[in-house]
Amino acid sequence: MKIVKEALAGTLESSDLMVKVAPASDGTLDIVINSEVIRQFGAQIEKVVRDTLGKLDVTEGLVVIEDKGALDCAICARLQTAVLRGAECQDLDWSVLS
Amino acid sequence: MHMERPERFDVLPPAPLWSNPIVLDDFEFLTVDPSADPALQAEIRALLAKCGLDYEDGIDVFVICRPQGRLIACVGLEGNIVKCAAIEPDCRGESLSLKLLGEVVHLAVERGHSHLFLYTAPENQTFFRGCGFYPLVEVPNYVSLMENTPVGIRSYCNKLKTERKEGATIGAIVMNANPFTWGHQYLVAEAAKACDWLHVFVVAEDASRISYRDRYRLVELGIRGIDRVTLHHGSQYMVSRATFPAYFFKEKGMVGHCCTAVDLLLFRNFIAPALGVTHRYVGTEPFCPTTRKYNEDMKYWLQAAETGTPRVTVIEIPRTAVMGSPVSASEVRRLLDARDFDRIEALVPPATLELLYEKYRTVCFPPA
Repeated sequence: MKIVKEALAGTLESSDLMVKVAPASDGTLDIVINSEVIRQFGAQIEKVVRDTLGKLDVTEGLVVIEDKGALDCAICARLQTAVLRGAECQDLDWSVLS
Repeated sequence: MHMERPERFDVLPPAPLWSNPIVLDDFEFLTVDPSADPALQAEIRALLAKCGLDYEDGIDVFVICRPQGRLIACVGLEGNIVKCAAIEPDCRGESLSLKLLGEVVHLAVERGHSHLFLYTAPENQTFFRGCGFYPLVEVPNYVSLMENTPVGIRSYCNKLKTERKEGATIGAIVMNANPFTWGHQYLVAEAAKACDWLHVFVVAEDASRISYRDRYRLVELGIRGIDRVTLHHGSQYMVSRATFPAYFFKEKGMVGHCCTAVDLLLFRNFIAPALGVTHRYVGTEPFCPTTRKYNEDMKYWLQAAETGTPRVTVIEIPRTAVMGSPVSASEVRRLLDARDFDRIEALVPPATLELLYEKYRTVCFPPA
């Protein structure tokens, strides 16, 4: 899936996260994670983000995460939403995302 | 709009909440345009005043929170700049501000602005850091400019680095060229003579009489034939509405105490190091007070101030004169108002004259 426009999902509230995606400027995948719990869970958050992007077949773009201590399932859901908005995707095979 | 009191842009950090008559669990945010609703405008004005902020007229849209008919929070959006954010003092401490900022960021994206800027007092930087805003520059004890991306200025500088040229003297000129005159041509030619390489930027903000596209094209044509020059498109980080709002209002008589420091520090701390700029060239300014102030401030912020980044020497080149009077774009605009193309002809290259004649011969300007 190719991110073609900037898109946003989520909130800045506690236990949630805000995800911003943007098209790649140079063909690379750039992930920036900013989290209140980066020291404890930074590696796990990055794993969830990379896995989710992998399932969506996103290989390039800018992904910025402002995490407020969200659970993995919330991270996954917000990221999917942001990518689907940014890819202007209409027909999606939901089964691959589970 | 002027920037005498930058604190009016900020939200005060949340304070502990001791007694709160309003249940803040389920409240909704509304998007409103107060310019069409005087009663609402008065309410917003009162809330801002309570928080030590002023209402600003240029704001396109506000996000407000008004549970049970009482306005407790507001934040404004002017283009891509977040302004006038305030929360009722007794409602702080419930992370209402995070919800408010989240709402305005979503609204901005809907309106086509995903890259946002925000001014705040330096002591509130930490608070906005938690809302996804990252500091760009700080004018100590005065104001900080932040943007809502961790990679904005970094990726811009990386792009600039690809245009870097080596040399002992690397010059830069930032011009609005509204419109391009023989004065601009002279400045570029003189600066290029003195440098190993010269970078010329055209202010990209489309807030001037002449459109950016036309200004850029006229600069391109006007400096053709001058060697060792790279022409760059301007950016948000350079004399834009975000970095230097007062510049674009100079003709509206709102010069006042404009804030040039933010713009100049961005140049000094990011743009100049990316390109290896050692000298910034500028024409002396006999007419426009805003530009004159900018030139004076340039000597302080680029050259004198301690910022931990290399100093950039400011060189003022005396303006070229035609028939005894200095050539200036503001003079050309005055003549344009009077349709005095005969006198404009002496001040601008043929391409500029042609464009002005084509586009403005029959246009009626509103009185300034």
